[in-house]
Amino acid sequence: MKSKTLRGWYAVHRWTSLACTANLLLLCLSGLILIFHHEIDHLLGQEPPPARGAADLPRPSLQQLADAALLAHPGSVPKSITLFEDDGVPMVGVRVGAPGVASLREGSSIFMDAGNGAPRALFTGDTFTGFILKLHVNLFLGFPGQLFIGAVGLVFFLSMLSGIVLYGPFMRKLAFGLVRFGRQSRIVQADLHNLTGIVVMVWALVVGMTGSFLSFSPLIIGLWQKTELSELIRTLPAAPPTSMAPLDEVRRVADQTVPGKDLAYIFYPGTEYATQRHYMVVLRGHSEIAKRVFNIVVVDAETGQLAAQRSMPWYMQVLLLSGPFHFGDYGGLPLKILWALLTLLTTGATTTGLIIWARRSKTATRQIDAGNAHLKEQS
Amino acid sequence: MNGTWRWPLLLALSSALGLAAGIFGDGPWDWLCWAGLGLPVAVAIAKLVGGRGPA
Repeated sequence: MKSKTLRGWYAVHRWTSLACTANLLLLCLSGLILIFHHEIDHLLGQEPPPARGAADLPRPSLQQLADAALLAHPGSVPKSITLFEDDGVPMVGVRVGAPGVASLREGSSIFMDAGNGAPRALFTGDTFTGFILKLHVNLFLGFPGQLFIGAVGLVFFLSMLSGIVLYGPFMRKLAFGLVRFGRQSRIVQADLHNLTGIVVMVWALVVGMTGSFLSFSPLIIGLWQKTELSELIRTLPAAPPTSMAPLDEVRRVADQTVPGKDLAYIFYPGTEYATQRHYMVVLRGHSEIAKRVFNIVVVDAETGQLAAQRSMPWYMQVLLLSGPFHFGDYGGLPLKILWALLTLLTTGATTTGLIIWARRSKTATRQIDAGNAHLKEQS
Repeated sequence: MNGTWRWPLLLALSSALGLAAGIFGDGPWDWLCWAGLGLPVAVAIAKLVGGRGPA
């Protein structure tokens, strides 16, 4: 590699790394805590209380659960149904809100045990790890903060890429992983930086890029809403339903249309993810990867008939798959521990990089000062 | 492929395999995932603990 090209890559590495160092350290430390959020919530006694006294009740239908949520929030209308598992317990979340409001952000959710309908409090963000999560996701700055974190991820990608390009020329005459403890501090820091940086290379690139993708999720979902979802809505009749088909009938139609999948969400007519007339039903598979591959079934809310069927576009699939690759929550406790160790190594690479720059800069300043003093003496 | 890149490429491949394996399923897939991501961590620890002193 020509020395001019090398200097160019070095400049890219130095400035992109410096631009994201402070945020990267914050993300590494907060991420380290969040890897073990279940265990920390448990230790701090900040887990949701288990449902009590309803074990003998018969399994309620989906419609009964939605009706129960509406009874608890008079004057509201249902917006969406979410089915998920919390610590192995099948759960149903019912989102309710004011009539005529399409946005799902405005409103409140009621969570119930799907097996017996018992209400259950869930992680609400008022815990220690909830506080750390907000810091990690948006620095308490809302959507602008989230976009900023996404941009930090992109700068980090450039920093890693330039670091990989520089690794070859810098390590050409050195053995892999050489750490020359006992030599000059700058040499030790450089060795540690090269070792930790190259070891976490692929993992850090994946976690960084998936983090950016998740940060930009409102924009990505917005793109889907404005393109494919809008196109689907345009092709379907728009007259609001005069009566509503029961949810369990809607579920049956969706199950028949895409057999072998589980119900994940139902969006009610008039909400941001549905038409004025149709239920938008989202189904997913069972395995870790299939859980992130969604199918959409559109059901006429008045007649209960199938109206359309779609799969998610590639960018939505990438977004859905970004979650596990960023959080490292798909391989049990051993993977969490490995995720934490890799986070520590990334923190090490970031810290040593900062130390190298700080010391190099001081040396350069000293050289300039010495040069100036020499010139003064000569004059 | 020269000596400089032999280990980094091996670790990159191992990490990629580990990241992907866990998402495909449980049981053996989880073991493959732990092994794949465990190798870079183990190499880093070995190099840090066994770092060479002054000549």
